[in-house]
Amino acid sequence: MMIPDISTILEVVLIAVKVVVVTMILFGLPLPLTWLERKVAGHIQVRLGPWRVGPHGLLQPFADMIKLLMKEDIVPDRADKFLFTIAPLLAMVPAFAVFVAIPFGENIVIPVINKEVSLYISDMNVGILYILAISGLGVYGIILGGWASNSKYSLIGGLRSSAQMISYEISISFAVIGVVMLSNSLSLVDIVRSQGGSLLQWNFFYLPVGPVWCAIFIIGSLAEINRIPFDLPEDEGTLGAGFHTEYSGMKFALFMLAEYVAMVSVSVLTVILFFGGWNSPVPLPIPIPPIFWFVAKVAFFIYFFMWVRFTLPRYRYDQLMTIGWKILIPVSLVTILITGFMRI
Amino acid sequence: MSDKKGIDILDLIKKVLFTDFVKGLKVTLGYNISKSITHRYPDDEKWIPYRRFRGVHTLNRDENGRELCVACELCVKACPTSCITVVPMEDDTGRGIADRVAKVWRVNLVRCLFCGYCEDACPTRAVRLGREYELACSDFRCTVRNREDLLMPQPVPESIEGGIVAKAKFERPLSGIKVTADLKVTKKRAW
Ligand code: SF4
Ligand code: SF4
Repeated sequence: MMIPDISTILEVVLIAVKVVVVTMILFGLPLPLTWLERKVAGHIQVRLGPWRVGPHGLLQPFADMIKLLMKEDIVPDRADKFLFTIAPLLAMVPAFAVFVAIPFGENIVIPVINKEVSLYISDMNVGILYILAISGLGVYGIILGGWASNSKYSLIGGLRSSAQMISYEISISFAVIGVVMLSNSLSLVDIVRSQGGSLLQWNFFYLPVGPVWCAIFIIGSLAEINRIPFDLPEDEGTLGAGFHTEYSGMKFALFMLAEYVAMVSVSVLTVILFFGGWNSPVPLPIPIPPIFWFVAKVAFFIYFFMWVRFTLPRYRYDQLMTIGWKILIPVSLVTILITGFMRI
Repeated sequence: MSDKKGIDILDLIKKVLFTDFVKGLKVTLGYNISKSITHRYPDDEKWIPYRRFRGVHTLNRDENGRELCVACELCVKACPTSCITVVPMEDDTGRGIADRVAKVWRVNLVRCLFCGYCEDACPTRAVRLGREYELACSDFRCTVRNREDLLMPQPVPESIEGGIVAKAKFERPLSGIKVTADLKVTKKRAW
């Protein structure tokens, strides 16, 4: 038997550590995000938002977490017990798995053991395809959850989600193809590298097609992660709570977790694909760590999605389909042509 | 026909540039950075209503400290929900402004709808609706207010015009929560 040498072991340990760290961060992230979302909602509506639990309501997420943990975990009588139980996991796991391929920065050198560490779990050369494929799986959780609950509201929510998913996945993929054409690579690290230098190198500023791709990607992603204005699967006005009407306690929390993680991953992808990833917008004399730019841009987009949520009303279902099929797909086809001609 | 087409093109340009969307975002951003108008009640602010506010009843005295109520029972008659009980009695010790005073003057706040008819009916302006509005309590005893309580001086004196937010302290002793307003530290409301 061959004994693996020390560097291989170290490599494996490093990957394990990275996986654990990323998972921990992702599990922890929804806590501040729920707080932030409620604060943003509050201030946009000229209220205060959470205020009473801890200073400025900062401990509110923990109170919510305790509440969700202590709630009765109801499984409806006539529900399909097995599917009902695994549906939240099916929604959550793809949302987390997306982060395997997402890079957070260039390689850094850890000072003590003097080893170069990459800030991604895996740099697949088809990273973006992997992300598209995996994030598409998340919809299974929603469909199965809606179907297994044996409730009309949940079922309609789940069906809407699948139809929405089919319509918008296409235009997202086109937008990604556009980016791939601009950057000549399917690897996210290379896509970011190709946007280095300054603001004008960013894919967003590749006129005239950059902004179009960006708009298509953001609109499609909003629909994909079921956020307002496309949150028809959980349309409170008409469907109770949509696909998670029957869920309570921790299972409900897992759906929420998946939703927030999906929002983070969409923000991260927008930054990586269109806004230069961790590259600084202008060449600066003082070195600012690239991770700062990355986090700042992602934070902006997270805020942006919350901002949009409390600005726009929900689209009607036929409008949703019209936007998807009659506008986004033809526009992306035309833009692909233009991009192709521009890259000759 | 051509006119209609022109409008359509304008509309299309607007849609392509997301004009309405950007306008909406601008409005919400404006609200997001504006100051919130929430009163932080009960933690550290309390609303002091205007004088015309119709809260819990008060029974008033004249400048010599004599009770104004002459137990004429007009308020009882005027009250649409019959929630006032007045039992008159003779008293010539100078407790009231006449030698007929109320032995019992009781209002049941659960039934009262704070219409202010009692106030209008009163010939001597004895009964007024005051500015106290914290009526929640844990048993029915506090929903009935008697003469003795109603004759007490008001926490918000008549000299304060109201319409302001006062700094307040929230106390939660076992005997029941209360919010005491500090009338010296006040501010206009935010909007
Ligand atoms: S406010 Fe109206 S309901 Fe209340 S006691 Fe006076 S007359 Fe009766
Ligand atoms: S409060 Fe006024 S109306 Fe009522 S009994 Fe007294 S004097 Fe008469």
